[in-house]
Amino acid sequence: MIDPSPKPPEALMRAIAQDLRPVKPSPLPLNLALRMVPLALLVSSVILLAIGPRHDAGILGPLLTWGASAAQFVLAIMLIWIAAHESTPARRLPRQIVCAAAVSGLLVVVFLTLLTFWISPASEPVLRVPPIVNELLRAKPWIMGFGCGIGSTLAGGILVLLFSVIFRNSLATRPAEAGALYGAGAGLAINAGWRIACPVSTLWHALGAHGAAIIATVILGALIGRFIGNRRLHIRINRS
Amino acid sequence: MIRYQDGSLEAFGEIYAELASGVHRYLSHLTGGSEIASDLLQETFLQMHRSRAAYNPQYAVRPWVFGLARNVFLMNRRAARRWARIQEAREDLPEFAVLPEADRLGSQDEIRRCISYLSPDQAEALLLHHEWGFSFEEIAGMLGISAAAARARASRGMADLRVALNSLQRAGT
Repeated sequence: MIDPSPKPPEALMRAIAQDLRPVKPSPLPLNLALRMVPLALLVSSVILLAIGPRHDAGILGPLLTWGASAAQFVLAIMLIWIAAHESTPARRLPRQIVCAAAVSGLLVVVFLTLLTFWISPASEPVLRVPPIVNELLRAKPWIMGFGCGIGSTLAGGILVLLFSVIFRNSLATRPAEAGALYGAGAGLAINAGWRIACPVSTLWHALGAHGAAIIATVILGALIGRFIGNRRLHIRINRS
Repeated sequence: MIRYQDGSLEAFGEIYAELASGVHRYLSHLTGGSEIASDLLQETFLQMHRSRAAYNPQYAVRPWVFGLARNVFLMNRRAARRWARIQEAREDLPEFAVLPEADRLGSQDEIRRCISYLSPDQAEALLLHHEWGFSFEEIAGMLGISAAAARARASRGMADLRVALNSLQRAGT
């Protein structure tokens, strides 16, 4: 094996010289994750600002309403922090930590859904909308399911797209996995706000509609992560 | 690296001169001694240039670039056409400097042969620590494992290397 010359090849130097504009160093993974907090808070609280907290918030109590959502939000930011680590060469976290965080996210959502249903099994939509709309939603509960599913998927999708801009320089070894992690973070953050506003506690609604939205954001994140990774793969130097 | 991020071409040259040789050896190991290692070396530095904004001055440069090289290797392995060429080249034993610790245990050829018998995970951790001098914490960050797991892989790799060398030498006598 011949060691490469200590001087970079000309083709490489030409490619480098073409773009030497000064760049701003990327923040550390924790700072990157913390920078996303206001963005995630803003998007996840849109539904809450639009229709207000659920009518049975008093029965659930502040701990299960706001406290549980706050904990879920913190977990979402933790997933984004892990995704930031995964996107940085030589800063990856052990796989056990990554898997434990992903499984924790899943378990927290299921646990909070079950606990909420157990304490207040609200099955009828009571929203601050004209009574005729509430009547319609009561007669056709699947509309509420679709509304929550599509609405939280859209909100999660917006957040994933915003995260993707921040993660565009990701250097993840497994780009789809890193994307899925920040997708999961976005999904959990949106769900943290959505669960305070949505008046339906039934399991099929909470797990089916809200859960499907989280899965959709995970898939969207994975696809975008993969796209970012593939785009890098197609960069080739013009060898001469 | 900070000067390079500020736009200095000279700084890039210095980083290349400092790291290219080690990164090339690492890529040679990963590709099984294939000539593709030279292409991947250029791609690593091109990726480093494109991603120079992703570097934070608080990171150590060497593990960051080695991690990037590993990333470039894995991305290219996913491209089936190139990987097929690597597989063909597996016939030849990868050439890298013999581990200082293992030097007294056998000849360079024997050690290279025995390292190729180790599991890829063990061989990589062994070489990153003993050949390129990374700490177990740095190896953990590069491979996505805990420092304890990195230490265990390198240690088991060294033990297996000793066993393989003994077997090879006994078979030769």
